[in-house]
Amino acid sequence: MHLTELRIRDFRNLGSQDLEIPPEGLALIGDNAQGKSNFLEAVYYLETFRSFRGASDERLVALREEMFRVVGRVATTDQDVRTVAVAYERRGKRKKVTVNGSELGRLGDALGSLAAVLFSPGDVALVSGGPAERRRFLDVVLSLNVPGYLKALQHFRHVLSQRNTALKDESPPDLVRVWDEGLVRWGTFVLLERRAWAEECCGAFRALYEAVAGDTQSASLRYAPGVPLEGRVSEQDVAAAYRQAIESSWERDVRSRSTIVGPHRDDLEVTLEGSGSGGPLDARGFGSGGQWRTAALALRLVEARTIRDRRGRSPLVLVDDVFAELDEGRSERALELLEREETGQVILTAPKASDVRFRGDVLPRWHIAAGRITA
Amino acid sequence: MSLIDQLAEDLARLPGIGPKTALRLVYHLMKGTPGDARRLAHSIRDLADRVHPCGRCGNFTEHDLCTVCADPRRDPAVICVVEEPYEVGAIERTGRYSGLYHVLGGRLSPLDGVGPEELNMTTLLEHVRGANGIVKEVIVATNPSVEGEATAVYLEGALRPLGPRVTRLARGIPVGSDLEFVDGSTLGEALLGRREM
Repeated sequence: MHLTELRIRDFRNLGSQDLEIPPEGLALIGDNAQGKSNFLEAVYYLETFRSFRGASDERLVALREEMFRVVGRVATTDQDVRTVAVAYERRGKRKKVTVNGSELGRLGDALGSLAAVLFSPGDVALVSGGPAERRRFLDVVLSLNVPGYLKALQHFRHVLSQRNTALKDESPPDLVRVWDEGLVRWGTFVLLERRAWAEECCGAFRALYEAVAGDTQSASLRYAPGVPLEGRVSEQDVAAAYRQAIESSWERDVRSRSTIVGPHRDDLEVTLEGSGSGGPLDARGFGSGGQWRTAALALRLVEARTIRDRRGRSPLVLVDDVFAELDEGRSERALELLEREETGQVILTAPKASDVRFRGDVLPRWHIAAGRITA
Repeated sequence: MSLIDQLAEDLARLPGIGPKTALRLVYHLMKGTPGDARRLAHSIRDLADRVHPCGRCGNFTEHDLCTVCADPRRDPAVICVVEEPYEVGAIERTGRYSGLYHVLGGRLSPLDGVGPEELNMTTLLEHVRGANGIVKEVIVATNPSVEGEATAVYLEGALRPLGPRVTRLARGIPVGSDLEFVDGSTLGEALLGRREM
């Protein structure tokens, strides 16, 4: 999977630039606030059609401009080259996505065109932040890699907001309960896929964490659902457990005037082990900054594996100055891992050329100043 | 505001019509004979003055009862419940249905402030109750959307105690399509709803 060309128009401070991206990738060097992250944001926009930094589309349009446009040519193989284009217009708040020139009925159909994974300093919140951060991570990874997940998630959220509105309005019970089957139907799919992913990736997560941490520390990953799922394997069993859980929390739902059990409240638990601390500890509450960053990095590496396993493509790896915050040993080992993990193209950013220790001197150095990129 | 702009603005409020199309329609009317425009105006006025919901099923009609409800050949033992009046036409065109209809005029949606009171439900329940067992089956043909499903669940709960069978339209593979191209959830539904050959 690689990006061969990138055309940018008025995306943040990047102005108008047409770039040919080398097959092996590039290292973008520049001082702070020159636009390094903006560049990665533009690239990753082609994957998810939104800002990885959580910025609204409106804020991505350059000052005093009406619209931005990002166009990428993506080669899966030599034969299969696709052009993915996205434009956003400030006035009409309209986003238009085309693949090979034709507009798609649903944005979801073009998601994941790059098969990219992005490592950013903000990733630390995946481990240090609340469960919502980790649910968002799961939802993005699964939406991009599991057919039907995005649709189920959207339906689930829609039913949930209908039911919560009915609860808030203090509607009679039968008018709240009519939404239960919809929750179970779509929520079960979401639960099953999230649990399956966590089980499938737990081993890899542990191995990657250990490889980066480089000592006796270890960490593990577990999906922690509010619906008790122990021993529930089949779809019917999980649906039955979910139905039962909704039933049992009815009184609490009415009291809190919102739906309190379900995938919208679940967590992906990251637990730390070893290092003489005794039993396993919740990473969020007990980890150090270094441990958080290591665990976050391992999560992204697992995401890259998911792309490889589920979509059969080597991911395009984007690294936003991320290893700068790890100690030298950890960052060396993280880079070694990335090189070993059959990554395809790599685009990374760094403040100084000497910070780039990836793939020896193979990676071409590009420079950025005031948004202008020079090869 | 000129009469041209006024009409264009009114037309642009219709679904599927933007400001440009609205203006094109106005100029088209001006190009035709005054008689054509007047006939259209009359039709719209007649529509507003004389068309109203059928007293029994809620479908639109110019009479007390709609053509289906007034037709003695229709089977009063079966009632098909739909969300909108135009869906009656869709089912009629199949030529496979000879029962009566009931039009809800929407679907449950707390987010839009639509509850049972906002829908034409009471007349359905009264009709089934008052028919003394004549109604044997109610087919719930609300859409397979999130809201349509919830509406179906609600109707089932309200109708079941009154006696009739409550059925739901089958979901599955579109006629003439290829299994390979049917999405997973539709195929799953089709599997669950399979039937004896």
